[in-house]
Amino acid sequence: MGLNDWFNTLHMDYDGQARAEKLSRIIILLFGFVGFIWGYIIQQFSETVRILGAGFILAAILTIPPWPIYRRKPLSWQKVRPQRSGDSDGEGKTKKKKQ
Amino acid sequence: MHSAFTRSHALAAYTVSVLAGLTFACFVTTAFRDYTADTTINTVTVLVRNVPDYSALREKNDMGFMIFDLKADLRPLFNWNVKQLFIYLTAEYETPNNKLNQVVIWDKIIQRGENALLDHKNIRPKYYFWDDGNGLRGNKNVTLTLSWNVIPNAGHLPNVVSTGNHQFSFPDEYTTTKM
Repeated sequence: MGLNDWFNTLHMDYDGQARAEKLSRIIILLFGFVGFIWGYIIQQFSETVRILGAGFILAAILTIPPWPIYRRKPLSWQKVRPQRSGDSDGEGKTKKKKQ
Repeated sequence: MHSAFTRSHALAAYTVSVLAGLTFACFVTTAFRDYTADTTINTVTVLVRNVPDYSALREKNDMGFMIFDLKADLRPLFNWNVKQLFIYLTAEYETPNNKLNQVVIWDKIIQRGENALLDHKNIRPKYYFWDDGNGLRGNKNVTLTLSWNVIPNAGHLPNVVSTGNHQFSFPDEYTTTKM
């Protein structure tokens, strides 16, 4: 199973998506703030940019892949109802076409 | 935020927005800095020639020449929002033709981290000091002033005239011999 398949088969649940976004913003803001203070102390703005870049890499590793901690609250779908044989409803047909 | 692609896209956009905010904050911390400094300029040799200006109309115009000393401590001018200083020396004088003449005769770029404590002896001009006529011979009031542009990471581009200039006069006779 390649990396592409892994990305396609695994998805964050809604709660995980919210937490991933929140975490990424906290990390970027924290690194930006610390980088700004440190850059001001040593009077070197490039250090501020570098620290922000480190925060970007950390946030990318922690919040972009669908890690298991973002898949803890999957939606509880209804069970698939057994299809009646004499069903004239169009729904069953379209589903079959798609598959 | 449903796929890895949209998450990386949102993360990159947010990081760039934060970077823009930080850059603006960096500009705010230095926006009201005083970029003036004191300089000491002295002329060692001053002479004036009357020679044809082949770059213009080939008429004989006055060309000033001076060797000068320059002392300035520009280290306090650097901060985290200064990439480099462009310093230039201007000669200002008045002639019957023009109320104000300004000629840049020397300049230098000091990048961040380079030595900003200037103590130059016997500098020769980098650029010709041409007058557009014969206004230099016997001119009693020529002022040399050092000015600089502060080139920042972000923000406005201050143009500062230093305090401490040097006034001198050109001799009454043209120099004809070679130096």
